Amino acid sequence: MTTQTPAIRISDMDKYFGTFHVLRKINLEVARGERIVICGPSGSGKSTLIRCINRLEEYEGGSINVLGTELDDNIDNIDAIRRETGMVFQHFNLFPHMTILDNCTLAPMLVRKQSRAEAEEVAMQYLTRVKIPEQADKYPGQLSGGQQQRVAIARALCMKPEIMLFDEPTSALDPEMISEVLDVMVGLANDGMTMICVTHEMGFARQVADRVIFMSDGEIVEQAPPTEFFETPKHARTQAFLGQILGH
Amino acid sequence: MAKTYHKPTFIERIRANYFSTWLDTTLTLGFGALVLWVLLGLFDWAFLNAVWSEAEREQCGHGSGGACWAVIDARWRLIFFGLYPFEEQWRSAIACIAMVVTGALSCVPWFWSARRLPVLWLVGFAIFYVLMRGGLFGLTPVSEQNWGGLSLTLFIFASVTLIGMPMAIVFALLRRSHLPMIAGTMGVIIDTIRSLPLLSIMFTFAIVLPFVLPGWAVGDKLYRVIVGYALFFACYQAEIIRGGMQALPAGQEEAAQALGMGYWHRIGYIVLPQAFRNALPPTINQLVITFKETSLVVIIGFFEVLASGNAAYGTAEWNFAHIEVYCFVALIYFTFVFALSRYGAYLERRLAVAAR
Repeated sequence: MTTQTPAIRISDMDKYFGTFHVLRKINLEVARGERIVICGPSGSGKSTLIRCINRLEEYEGGSINVLGTELDDNIDNIDAIRRETGMVFQHFNLFPHMTILDNCTLAPMLVRKQSRAEAEEVAMQYLTRVKIPEQADKYPGQLSGGQQQRVAIARALCMKPEIMLFDEPTSALDPEMISEVLDVMVGLANDGMTMICVTHEMGFARQVADRVIFMSDGEIVEQAPPTEFFETPKHARTQAFLGQILGH
Repeated sequence: MAKTYHKPTFIERIRANYFSTWLDTTLTLGFGALVLWVLLGLFDWAFLNAVWSEAEREQCGHGSGGACWAVIDARWRLIFFGLYPFEEQWRSAIACIAMVVTGALSCVPWFWSARRLPVLWLVGFAIFYVLMRGGLFGLTPVSEQNWGGLSLTLFIFASVTLIGMPMAIVFALLRRSHLPMIAGTMGVIIDTIRSLPLLSIMFTFAIVLPFVLPGWAVGDKLYRVIVGYALFFACYQAEIIRGGMQALPAGQEEAAQALGMGYWHRIGYIVLPQAFRNALPPTINQLVITFKETSLVVIIGFFEVLASGNAAYGTAEWNFAHIEVYCFVALIYFTFVFALSRYGAYLERRLAVAAR
């Protein structure tokens, strides 16, 4: 693994749900430190695509290489890739039976074999960074949606991942809580984290993305730097989509 | 005009809830009188007119109209200890207490660790076994065939749950395996055993199994019955645990996977703790049923507490006093089952803190 290898390289990847062809010949290369926003209508396969990157979904054809490791059926490779790839979900998926602090320390202790003291120190550091260190001893159910999502980001960061995947991180939030989560994500982007975000927050895309990808019907239809993407979209489907989400 | 909130006093609430209309008042008074009449009658029978000591046995059934607790006074050792040799019954008593203490201790959160709980139960069972079985430390050996009464009931219940619970977890995990062969086979096994009556399973394990097993594997009838009962328990409990697992959102396991946690870590730290929390009410239910159905072992010749109760009034001297004996046995069952229910309620409150 040299720094020259891309963070992610997806070649001719195919994915089916039963007989339904969800992802068609996907080709995508993500450089280290690159920030990518994926958007597209619902059912276009964007969530499925990023879930393939850490093997929450299997893929049927082509190949995926993450940080120089081939993502195949080898369980060691899968585990190695998952250790280096953090994921933030639409519905937070915090562990409701554990305190915020335990949520953050569990995987570092079990997977990274850190001592409790070490893991707690790192956890408090990241909880401070997402601005909720004072909630460490509460349970997820006692926090607001925005706070829970920030904890989820901190929990993923505690594993010190190379890549962060965001699967519609603000879609389940009340409007007034979206910005607190986006602020954390912007901060992360400014620190040079490799990020792939499935989101409809176009303001966020304009502000931090190096590249915006538009997906439709299981295909990457168009990709471009944000200015170009928003000012002069080439494809008719992109124009229609942007018209719908920016038009009102 | 804004209304101000006025907290109703106790009297006001009683009046509003039970005496607000003529019909309410009539029903309240009518049923109140009925309940009072029954309770007073019961109180009269159980306490005021009761005969308490064996020495006054003659007064029983001579128009006193009260309970004849003399039968308990005379026969309580049979009920508690069954056919256990009379001079050695102190051993059975201590063994019984050891089992209760072990059970009570394992309810204390401090013992809930993978190391402490097994050690606690190993010690508990060891004390129980050495005391009951004898043959060590100069204790006269008493064969399992002569164990009985409450000690036997508790021993069967504790063994069945302790063997059955880990089995249930394994069954539940196999049942939801991603490999269709394994999940399917486990499903058939669970469905088959669940569709058999407990009695026939006990009978098979006690009577039929020795013909099939090699000599060294047969063991005492008591242990075979316990294993059979544990298998039965595990099949029901496995489905309860599986239900608890199904209530978990898929995102829980995905989040753990995304963090790089392996299968056993995911099961041990994320899935099972939450599955058990979801499945707590039916689990307590299953434990209560299991406790009460230990009485079925009488069919293969063991005198657990209910069968010992039958024996207690089964003499010419006391044959009129079956109601009193059954009341007493019921009280014993109630004590344990009620404690179990209350503990379940405590657990639910405790776990609710971490609930959404």
